[in-house]
Amino acid sequence: MSYPNLMANLRKTFSKIYDSYINKIYRFIFLKVSSQEIAQDLTSETFLKGWESFKNGTKIENPQAFLYRIARNLVTDHYREKGRAQIVSAEYVSIIDPREDIEEAAALKSDIDTVRLALVNLSEDYQNVIIWHYLDDLSITEVAKLLDRTEEATRVLLSRALKGLRNELRDPAA
Amino acid sequence: MTEKELIGKIRELRQIQPRKDWVSLTKIQILGESARGRASVSFFPFWRPALATVMALGILIGAFGFAQNSLPGDILYSIKKLTEKSQAVFVSKEELPKYNLEIANKRLDELTEIAQTNQVKKLAPAISEFQANMSEAAKSLSEVKGQGVEKIIAQTKKLEENKQKVEEVLATKIETEKFDNALSRLVESEIKDLESRTLTEEQELLLEEAKADFSAGNYSQALEKILILSYQ
Repeated sequence: MSYPNLMANLRKTFSKIYDSYINKIYRFIFLKVSSQEIAQDLTSETFLKGWESFKNGTKIENPQAFLYRIARNLVTDHYREKGRAQIVSAEYVSIIDPREDIEEAAALKSDIDTVRLALVNLSEDYQNVIIWHYLDDLSITEVAKLLDRTEEATRVLLSRALKGLRNELRDPAA
Repeated sequence: MTEKELIGKIRELRQIQPRKDWVSLTKIQILGESARGRASVSFFPFWRPALATVMALGILIGAFGFAQNSLPGDILYSIKKLTEKSQAVFVSKEELPKYNLEIANKRLDELTEIAQTNQVKKLAPAISEFQANMSEAAKSLSEVKGQGVEKIIAQTKKLEENKQKVEEVLATKIETEKFDNALSRLVESEIKDLESRTLTEEQELLLEEAKADFSAGNYSQALEKILILSYQ
């Protein structure tokens, strides 16, 4: 196959990967860094790195896992440099379903903020397991693979994570 | 709170999504222009379509403007060529030979500028652009007859002179065989045509000079003499 055709095919394939996972990766990162700007930066860096690898011939069997791995590393690096996000900039949450009723919108926003804050106070593993299973709808099997643990261990982790979240919501850490 | 309620609260976080215009823009930045496809539809903020249209027009007009000064090898150069192609649509059949020669001269001007400013990287593309346009000009030259000759003389002369100059600067000959052959055939047919006619003494003299120019390969000079001759 000629080089331009090969590149065009690679672009097409990665373009589909981009479309499939951009929202999930963004949400994943946003929930951890609590800033739209930082989430945008890290998300685009995630896909840029992904594209570079893909372009250079890295075989990607599981794009989701591949991208999450990059995203997690970038978030870790970010924490190392900037320290864990202390300020939760609540006003920048993009709500895709703008409610007509301002009060309702405000209530929803405040609800989301509450859960976000609680989530941020959990350990990384607890955060991840909740995000992947309940937000991204990954099966226990898929989550286990991402965590590199057994399914049984993952189930246990998930139930502990929910407990932890409930505690946070009841009694938010200072 | 029941587990169900808790999960419900968690699922509200699904509302968190990136801005659509950021998604499209980022896709284009990472994958390049070819990734536009679906991206282009939601690129502009859809709550400001009028502003977006004005912006788009402004960018296009700016690009065309800047493109006119671009050289082969520049990014905007393809826009410049596109502009020329679209203009060519409006050129009539009779004007086409002259138009193609003008374009060839344009390429030659670009090549001259590149050669004189030593932009080595742009030399190769500029030379091939010039040769490509000369081939085009060659094709339409073969359509020229009779009155059409007058129209193309000025351009042909300019072409020959400037080509010689550039070849001196670059210390190399630029191959334009098709064009040279086409021009040569044109001069030949004009000469043959004149030989079959009855000419005055002055005209005969000019024809001899034209033949001499032709033999020496000075085609545009030959054409000039032929033109003067036809006005006698």
